Amino acid sequence: MSNILAIAHKELKSYFASPIAYIVIGFSAILFGWFFVNLLYYFDRMSLQAGIGQGGPETVNVNEMLISPLFLNVSVILLFTLPMVTMRTYSEEKRSGTIELLLTAPLTDFQIVMGKFLGGLVLYAVMLSVTVIHLGFLFAFGNPEWRPVVTGYLGLLLMGACFLSLGLFISSLTKNQIVAGMITFALFLMFWVINWISSFTGPTSQNVLNYLSITEHLNDFTKGIIDTKHLVYYLSFIAFSLFLTVRAVDSERWRG
Amino acid sequence: MIEVQQLTKRYGPFTAVNDVSFKVERGEILGFLGPNGAGKTTTMRVLTGYMPPTEGRAIVAGYDILEQPLEAKRRTGYLPETPPLYPEMTVRDYLNFVSKIRGVPRSERKTRVDYVMDRTRIADMARRHCGKLSKGYRQRVGLAQALLHNPEVLILDEPTAGLDPKQIIETRQLIKELRGDHTVILSTHILPEVSATCQRVVIINKGRVVAVDTPDNLTSRLRGSETLYVQVDSMGVDAKTALEAIPGVTHVALSDTSGAATGFEINSEMGRDVRRQLSSTIVTRGWGLLELRPLRMSLEDVFLHLTTEDVAAPEAAVELANE
Repeated sequence: MSNILAIAHKELKSYFASPIAYIVIGFSAILFGWFFVNLLYYFDRMSLQAGIGQGGPETVNVNEMLISPLFLNVSVILLFTLPMVTMRTYSEEKRSGTIELLLTAPLTDFQIVMGKFLGGLVLYAVMLSVTVIHLGFLFAFGNPEWRPVVTGYLGLLLMGACFLSLGLFISSLTKNQIVAGMITFALFLMFWVINWISSFTGPTSQNVLNYLSITEHLNDFTKGIIDTKHLVYYLSFIAFSLFLTVRAVDSERWRG
Repeated sequence: MIEVQQLTKRYGPFTAVNDVSFKVERGEILGFLGPNGAGKTTTMRVLTGYMPPTEGRAIVAGYDILEQPLEAKRRTGYLPETPPLYPEMTVRDYLNFVSKIRGVPRSERKTRVDYVMDRTRIADMARRHCGKLSKGYRQRVGLAQALLHNPEVLILDEPTAGLDPKQIIETRQLIKELRGDHTVILSTHILPEVSATCQRVVIINKGRVVAVDTPDNLTSRLRGSETLYVQVDSMGVDAKTALEAIPGVTHVALSDTSGAATGFEINSEMGRDVRRQLSSTIVTRGWGLLELRPLRMSLEDVFLHLTTEDVAAPEAAVELANE
């Protein structure tokens, strides 16, 4: 365990020693803020219309109309930022030869992979924590339900962890950061849009495609529902990606 | 301490290391000598557990590197060909990190880090980022990293590459001081390095072990006879015959002339010292004796000899690896 933490600590340190952490956190904060303001205006308009009885929705709910769509928008941010977080994790170590240090230290492949994953996850958690400020305003000036907010964050954390684990796997396959970043981005996008076609297909494939979509599983979390179906999806996605990464690192040794 | 048995490593169709076997005793410094691409780095990578062998076994500090890799790695320090530094970390942070993953207990970390920085003379760079170090300092931080956990076995891949002459001497001195407490394998393609630091040499070429012996034995035993060089002046015309007449001398060859002085290479029977007779002959004849010294095959010669011919190692000389 202490080995995992040592690697995670080192990963985190190198994120913050390079511009990556600041760029990722800074730009996601700006984008999140922008989404927040937009949705806030929209919510403001809706509640005004509802208030003066001019159309508008029948009930005004800040959780459903603001927080939930806001969380869903975060997946867009992750799509662009998380490849930047993961693309260098293994590629850079392979290119610079520091992987030789890790692989000849008394560490298991699993510990190395977990350490790197954890490091990325903490960076992502820091990135998410910036968004708490925006929601803090909502709690200060209104009274949203806090439970859906908590489950929403849980969902975001799990979804981000999926992206991170997949990105880690891609990074373990190549020496080239840019290649790793591009492939990761393409795969994220694929998992994001995979169910777009589902409304045109039969019910079976519709279910399958919806199930595969990473973002589809976030919906219920933002509504305050923790469904084991989604938990299983996210956790198995993470476990499988990390497993593949461990195998990829191991096979690299054999191939030399 | 280290035992390599019939080690073979193939990359696809290419055989990098072919049936290599050797042993290193505890406290010994073994030089791993070979031209570039001979398989030195690959062998070292197998020994450190970086990659598994295709065939054969390697036992490091009593643990099979395939069966108990963690135990073997715990007892091994490794300096790869390129020092594995993280450019964005300071030297101290880097060494701290390595001491953590190498399992140095928390309470000893600071002392160990300070100690190795002192030993490798990098203390003045403690707060510098690794990416901003000169080649010589990088190399030394790499060496410091390998020493951190006070390993029984040290595997150093070209430890003096990129150092200036003063640093090379310091580093060799440091490696020599490690003898006894640590078992060291160091690879190099610089020959004087081997004679300067190592007790035994493994010469490897095209993935095969060509010779295993001490540097001295390698140089002397490769010659079937002993050779002396003498330089004389104002000698008679019959000098060559006169020298050949000395008992024990088997062959005299004119080697060079400069002005009045003439140099001869004199071969004598193995194990027979003809220097006394030689000098007295020269002096009694009234020639001037300018120089008299033994000629030995330098390690360079041995090396070239062993690595350029397709070697069936000279039978007289070299005990082959797997004895």
